[in-house]
Amino acid sequence: MRRPQKTCAICESGVRVVDFKDERTLSRFLTERGKILPSRLSGTCARHQRQLSTAIKRARELALLPYIKGFVG
Amino acid sequence: MTRQYEVVYIFDSALEEAAINERLARFHALIQVPEAEAPQVNHWGKRSLAYPIKKHETGYYVVARFDAEPTALPEFERAIKLDEGVMRFLVVVNEGAQPVPVTAGKSDEEDDE
Repeated sequence: MRRPQKTCAICESGVRVVDFKDERTLSRFLTERGKILPSRLSGTCARHQRQLSTAIKRARELALLPYIKGFVG
Repeated sequence: MTRQYEVVYIFDSALEEAAINERLARFHALIQVPEAEAPQVNHWGKRSLAYPIKKHETGYYVVARFDAEPTALPEFERAIKLDEGVMRFLVVVNEGAQPVPVTAGKSDEEDDE
């Protein structure tokens, strides 16, 4: 059975290249624990999902996003 | 041939503004190309980190864009690495906001990558 087609939120907002410095937007594509949300759930198109994953990893390196959200210790 | 780069620095937030500017000037002197314009520097200022780095909870973020020779980069990165005041940095080729050539009748999807 085919799942219903979701539209890519990044395409709709008119962004061509995802910016790793924009952690507000990136955080919309994370789970509540800070994992990258699969495109299956977010509906992101393949090109933007690839850009997102690089951008999120760069943002993590710069401490703009956490590797694990809510981790104490 | 020069390429456009973007670098994000995270300085120790205990540093004075003057000390940060002095360091930026020193780093950017290493990648300066005679005919290119000066790097565009954007100070984000002090922000809290998503996780502690070297026991610091805050950092002073600076973003800079510049045109540089790829051959100048290793020395530039080495100089930053040696500096104790920089907690972390990231240099990337700046692919953001590239001028998209407008060609009539051509699909928008083809000009990427």
